[in-house]
Amino acid sequence: MNFDLTQEQNDLREAVSALGRRYGHEYFIGKAKAGEHTTELWAEAGKLGYLGVSIPEEYGGGGGGITELTVVCEELSATGSPLLLLVVSPAIVATILARHGTDAQRAEFLPRLADGSLLIAFAITEPEAGSNFHRLGTVARRDGDDWVLNGRKCFISGVDHADYVMVVARTEDASTGRLMPALFLVPTDAAGLTRSQLDMEIVSPEKQWLLYLDDVRLPAEALVGGSTDAGLPALFAGLNPERITVAAMSAGTGRYALDRASRYTATRQVWGRPIGTHQGVAHPLAHAAIQVELARLMVYKAAALYDAGRDLEAGVAANMAKYATADAAALAVDTAIQAHGGNGMTTEYGVATLLGAVRAGRIAPVSREMILNFVAQHVLGQEKSY
Amino acid sequence: MNIVVLVKQVPDSGSERGLAGDNTVERQSANNVINEMDEYAIEEALRIQAAEGGEVTILTMGPERAAESIRKALSMGPDKAVHVIDDALHGSCALSTSKVLAAALGTLNPDLVIAGAESTDGRVQVMPHMIAERLGIAALTGARKLTVDGGTLTIERQTEEGYEVVTAATPAVVSVWDTINEPRYPSFKGIMAAKKKPVQTLALADLGIEAGEVGFAGASSEVVEHAKRPPRQGGQKVADDGNGGAALVEFLSSEKFV
Ligand SMILES: Cc1cc2nc3c(=O)[nH]c(=O)nc-3n(C[C@H](O)[C@H](O)[C@H](O)COP(=O)(O)OP(=O)(O)OC[C@H]3O[C@@H](n4cnc5c(N)ncnc54)[C@H](O)[C@@H]3O)c2cc1C
Ligand SMILES: Cc1cc2nc3c(=O)[nH]c(=O)nc-3n(C[C@H](O)[C@H](O)[C@H](O)COP(=O)(O)OP(=O)(O)OC[C@H]3O[C@@H](n4cnc5c(N)ncnc54)[C@H](O)[C@@H]3O)c2cc1C
Repeated sequence: MNFDLTQEQNDLREAVSALGRRYGHEYFIGKAKAGEHTTELWAEAGKLGYLGVSIPEEYGGGGGGITELTVVCEELSATGSPLLLLVVSPAIVATILARHGTDAQRAEFLPRLADGSLLIAFAITEPEAGSNFHRLGTVARRDGDDWVLNGRKCFISGVDHADYVMVVARTEDASTGRLMPALFLVPTDAAGLTRSQLDMEIVSPEKQWLLYLDDVRLPAEALVGGSTDAGLPALFAGLNPERITVAAMSAGTGRYALDRASRYTATRQVWGRPIGTHQGVAHPLAHAAIQVELARLMVYKAAALYDAGRDLEAGVAANMAKYATADAAALAVDTAIQAHGGNGMTTEYGVATLLGAVRAGRIAPVSREMILNFVAQHVLGQEKSY
Repeated sequence: MNIVVLVKQVPDSGSERGLAGDNTVERQSANNVINEMDEYAIEEALRIQAAEGGEVTILTMGPERAAESIRKALSMGPDKAVHVIDDALHGSCALSTSKVLAAALGTLNPDLVIAGAESTDGRVQVMPHMIAERLGIAALTGARKLTVDGGTLTIERQTEEGYEVVTAATPAVVSVWDTINEPRYPSFKGIMAAKKKPVQTLALADLGIEAGEVGFAGASSEVVEHAKRPPRQGGQKVADDGNGGAALVEFLSSEKFV
């Protein structure tokens, strides 16, 4: 058994951390509050190959695995400057294209996803289909060689600066009449695609969007994998990388909050000694640190299983990691705020700024209840309740 | 242009440092890193290589664990490295260090040698001068800017008042301050490639140097004793009972500040 990252993974961790520290939480919050994106950080990370670590080398990526992408996600978050769209563009979309895209799609999209010059959002959630994505109402209809898409999507992150949205729709199987999922690459400037911003209580440079697809006409090449049979496996290919990287972000955010808090409590004096000397202050931080570290371990277990090609086991670990890190990060941020007293609620001390994001981590991309359902059913062998 | 960058592994200046029982720098338990100034030297070499072509070689003298710093230096982009490693080197003074590095440089035939202006452990700031003297080539030291024009090197030497413009023909040794550039982060490709780059190890025998010329045996001076810097004094509190201003001026003039 080995709990160590490889030398290269460790070097990557140090390099990403150094880059993230140069930007930091003030940069992140400044951008969020100005309604801007963390474009500079994204571009620099892209140029250094950190966004493309898991994309195959033949397509300009780093040829590493999800473990490497996990390191990137976690370390940037641990510096207070997370990149949410790492979860979407490199983790979900690039994995789907690398595994299930046509040769032409790989050649066209992967090199630019690898260096970050291209950003692709991912849209599955609909007003009537969130946890239950079997009820997708966005329909793709064949018209000659073209596809015509109609439907609505909600909560889609980063659409305003994405070049494409990978849209999960349904097609009608001509022989059986059954509805099958199919994935399409829709340019964000496609005719018939409109969007409006959702007002969210999250301080983040990344916004969530409502998308309206009204007779969006796409050429045959827009269908991921070039066949409707590719839809279901392609969709599932994105799930584990999504959960693992989202979990890594939560773990990093937890570390960031505890780092801020412990530096504060080691120096802040109220009764003539640092408040960290009171166990009432230190123990909750220590407890949160244990929860974060436990959850982190599961993230790396999931990444290792995934990279070893053990998809089913990785699925269980990824869900557990997602659940555990979301709770640990929420606890860490809450505890860090408490340890800061009034300063905890200021923008300057940079912990309350994370409240919305860590709270959302228990809902998106998959809610804690749905993970409990999954574990009850697939680990504990209980009958499906819904 | 054939460029050699001198890279020293040092204990992290951000953490607790000390001397070992034999009065040499404690390197065993320390968190060892690339001497900060040397990262600027590497960056400068890579920029010149990008413009002029040629090869960048890292040269390090240090114990086995210095290999870690060599790997990290290579991950920034240099082509190869030479590691001088020999048990007899332990305890070397600046003079013998320069002898070893000069001998190793002799095997590499550089047009340009770039070093940091000082290391954060030894801090003697003399290595570039000593090496240039031994090789009989020019030393352009303390650069905040370096330009290459064919075989002519021009630096802006940083001084307390401003800067001096100094020129020399290649081959030469240039030492740089951290004002010269912004070192790059290693790219992921660089990190993955670093381990596969050639690292040549040389022992003293390969350089024609006798063990007795270096290390404790050959040291031109000896560290006899050392003591921790005394803790800061508490300072003097001036209570303002109406004539605090006068008391302040009195203190400042007693220390000859005013
Ligand atoms: C910040 C943020 C960013 C997002 N970004 C994206 C994106 O980029 N792309 C995208 O497609 N989507 C995105 N989403 C959407 C997200 O994936 C969904 O919100 C999530 O899957 C939950 O779906 P829902 O909101 O429809 O909740 P619902 O499905 O309506 O669920 C409501 C509540 O009921 C519970 N519940 C439902 N069914 C069961 C059951 N069977 N048993 C027990 N409890 C149940 C849920 O756990 C939840 O607590 C984002 C959401 C947020 C908040
Ligand atoms: C009189 C004297 C006696 C000493 N005696 C001892 C002793 O007994 N034991 C002991 O451990 N130390 C001793 N030292 C310290 C040790 O010799 C120096 O650390 C060493 O000579 C290098 O000097 P520096 O790092 O301070 O060089 P600096 O001139 O400050 O370094 C400038 C640059 O030179 C290059 N450089 C320096 N060293 C190396 C290296 N090893 N490999 C590659 N590049 C390098 C780097 O680019 C560096 O940035 C002594 C020093 C002096 C002056």
